[in-house]
Amino acid sequence: MKTWLKNRTKAQVITVGLLLIGFIASMIFINNNYDLYDRTIVQITDVQEINREEQVDTHGNEDEHVTQHIVGEIKNGSDKGQVTAFDNEYIQSLALDYELAAGDEIFLAQDGKATGDIKRDKYFVFVAWIFLIILLAVGKSRGALSALSLLVNAVILSIALDIYIHNPSIGLSIITLVSIIIFTVLSLLMATGFNEKTYTAILTTLLGTGLSLVIAYVALHFTGEQGLRYEEMAFLTRNPQTIFMAGLLIGSLGAVMDVAITLSASMFEMYEKNNRIDLKTLKKAGYEVGKDIMGTMTNILFFAYVSGSIPMLLIYLKNAAPFGFTVSMNLSLELARALVGGIGIVLTIPIAIYISIFFIRRKQAKL
Amino acid sequence: MNVLVLLAIILFALMAWVGGMKGVRSFIALFINFLIVLMAVFVMNDPTGNPIIIALIACGFISAVSLFFINRVNNKTMLAFLATIATTVILIFFIIILTEQSMIYGLGEEESGEITTFNVHIGLNFVQIATAVILMSTIGAIVDTAISITSPMREIHEQNPTISRKDLFLAGIRIGRDILGTSTNTLFFAFFGGYMGLLIWFKDLEYSIGDIINAKVFNDEMLSIFVSGVGIALVIPIASLMSAYYLKRKKEDGILEEESNR
Repeated sequence: MKTWLKNRTKAQVITVGLLLIGFIASMIFINNNYDLYDRTIVQITDVQEINREEQVDTHGNEDEHVTQHIVGEIKNGSDKGQVTAFDNEYIQSLALDYELAAGDEIFLAQDGKATGDIKRDKYFVFVAWIFLIILLAVGKSRGALSALSLLVNAVILSIALDIYIHNPSIGLSIITLVSIIIFTVLSLLMATGFNEKTYTAILTTLLGTGLSLVIAYVALHFTGEQGLRYEEMAFLTRNPQTIFMAGLLIGSLGAVMDVAITLSASMFEMYEKNNRIDLKTLKKAGYEVGKDIMGTMTNILFFAYVSGSIPMLLIYLKNAAPFGFTVSMNLSLELARALVGGIGIVLTIPIAIYISIFFIRRKQAKL
Repeated sequence: MNVLVLLAIILFALMAWVGGMKGVRSFIALFINFLIVLMAVFVMNDPTGNPIIIALIACGFISAVSLFFINRVNNKTMLAFLATIATTVILIFFIIILTEQSMIYGLGEEESGEITTFNVHIGLNFVQIATAVILMSTIGAIVDTAISITSPMREIHEQNPTISRKDLFLAGIRIGRDILGTSTNTLFFAFFGGYMGLLIWFKDLEYSIGDIINAKVFNDEMLSIFVSGVGIALVIPIASLMSAYYLKRKKEDGILEEESNR
C-alpha cells in the first residue's frame, strides 16, 4: 500500500480521494432522500407468504399465483415512522409484478393497499458510479473524457427533445439533424482534440449519416414501408414514423462515428510514420482496416437492438402466436434499425478513406 | 417488396463491394447470429430451462461465429474468444445481482399497455430472462473490443519481438483506451436511438425526475448501457493480459528475472 501510494502523483491521490468522497456522499444521500418524494415510500420489515395456488391458462402455461403479507415502515410524508401492512400479490413468472423481501424499499400504490413501484434510484446511482470508476481505472483521463462526453450528449438530447415538445412547429427531423451535427462535432473533438484527423472524422460522419439517411428514406418510400409494423412500437405519444426515423439516425450515429475515427486515426498514423507513403498503398491499407471492423461493428448494433425484443417474443410464442407473425410484429423495426445502421457503417468506410486521402494529399503537396 | 429484404440486399451489396469476400462472410455471420438469437428464444420457451445458461451458450456461439467465421481460427481470434468468454462470465454475476436487486425484470407499466390481449403469466422466469437480455445486448460490443485489442497486440509483438511482457500488456491497455470512448459512445447512441419514443413519452406525460429515475423501463435501459460500458472496460485488461501472457510465454525466464528485481 505504501509503495503504491509513493508511485502515485499528488493529482492522482486527490482524484481518488474526491471520487471516494463523491461516491460515499451520493450513496448516503440517495439512500436517505425519502422526503424528496411525494409518493409514499415503505421500507419492508417483514414478509409472510399467505397463499400460493397454481394456475393454468388456455395455452397450457402453468404458473403460480402468490400472495404475500407485507409489514413495513413508512419513510416519508405525514405518516412517517408509522408501521403499515398490506398484501402483495404476484404471479411467479414476474412479468408485471414484484416478489418482495425484507429490506426492499417500494412506492405504495395510490390507495395505499398495494405495491406501486420499486425505489430504484439507489441502484441507478450505484451502477453509474461503478461505470464511472471502471471507466477511469482503465481509461484514466481518456475515460473521464468519454464519461463527460456521454453526459454532455445526454443533456443535449434532453434539451433537443424539450425544444421539440414545446415547439411542435419546428419538426423532429430538423431538430434531429441539428442535434446530430452538435453530437458529432462535440464527441469527436472531445475524443481526439483539434486536428486534421478529427476534422476528417467529423466530415466523414456527417456525410456517412446523411447518405445512409437518403438510402433509408428512398428504401422506405420505394417499398411503401411494407413490412414495418409500427403498431407494436412501444411508448407512443406521437406519430410513429417521425420518431422511428429520428431514432434510426441517432441510433446509428455512434457506430458511424466509431468507424470514422478508427479509420481516419489509422490512416493519419500511417502517414505520420511515413510522410511520403504512396496514396494507393494507403488506400489499400485503409480498406484492410475497414474490412476488419465492418463485421464486428454491424454485430454491435444488431445485438443492441434485437436482444431487447426477447421478452416480447417469448410472450407472443407462449400465447400460441404464429412464428412469422411474432417475428414481424416484434422484430421488424429492430431489424430495420440494425440494417440501416449496418449500411451507415459500411458506407462510412470508403468515405473515411477518400476524405483522409484528400487531406493527406494536400499535406504531401506542401512537403 | 418488403423493406427489410430491400435493406438487407443493400447491406449485402455494400459489404461485398467494400469488403470483398470478407464482407460477404461478415454478412453471412450477421445472418447466422440472427438465427442463433431465434434458436435461443426457442430454447428459452421451455420453462424448465435456465435462460441465463442459454444466453451464455448463445453468447459463446455468437462470439465464435463473429470471430472464427469472419477472421478464421488463429491465435488472435482464439485470444479474443477466450477474453470474451472470461469477461462474459465475470459480467453475468454482476448482472444477476443487479436485475434481482433493482427489480428491472418483466415489462414496465409503459410497455404492458400494448399486450392487453395476451396473457403474460406464462410460467417463464422473467428475472432470468431480463438478465439474459442485458448480457446478449452487450455481447457484440465485447467481441468487437476484444478483437480490436488482440489483433494489434500481435502486430506489435511481431514488429518488436523483444518487447517485455509488461510493455506489451501496457500497449494493449493504451489501445484499449482509444477504443473505450468510441465503443461506449456507439452503445449509448444505439440505445437512445432505440428509445426515442420512450424519451418523448416521458417528456409528453411530464414525468418528474423522480418518476423517471425510478421507472422500470428507464432503469432497464440505463443499466444496460452502464453494464455494457463495464463489459467493454473489463475486456480491455483481460484481453491485454491474456495476449501478453500467451505471446510472451516462451521467454518466461527473462520476464521472471525482471519481475523479481522489482
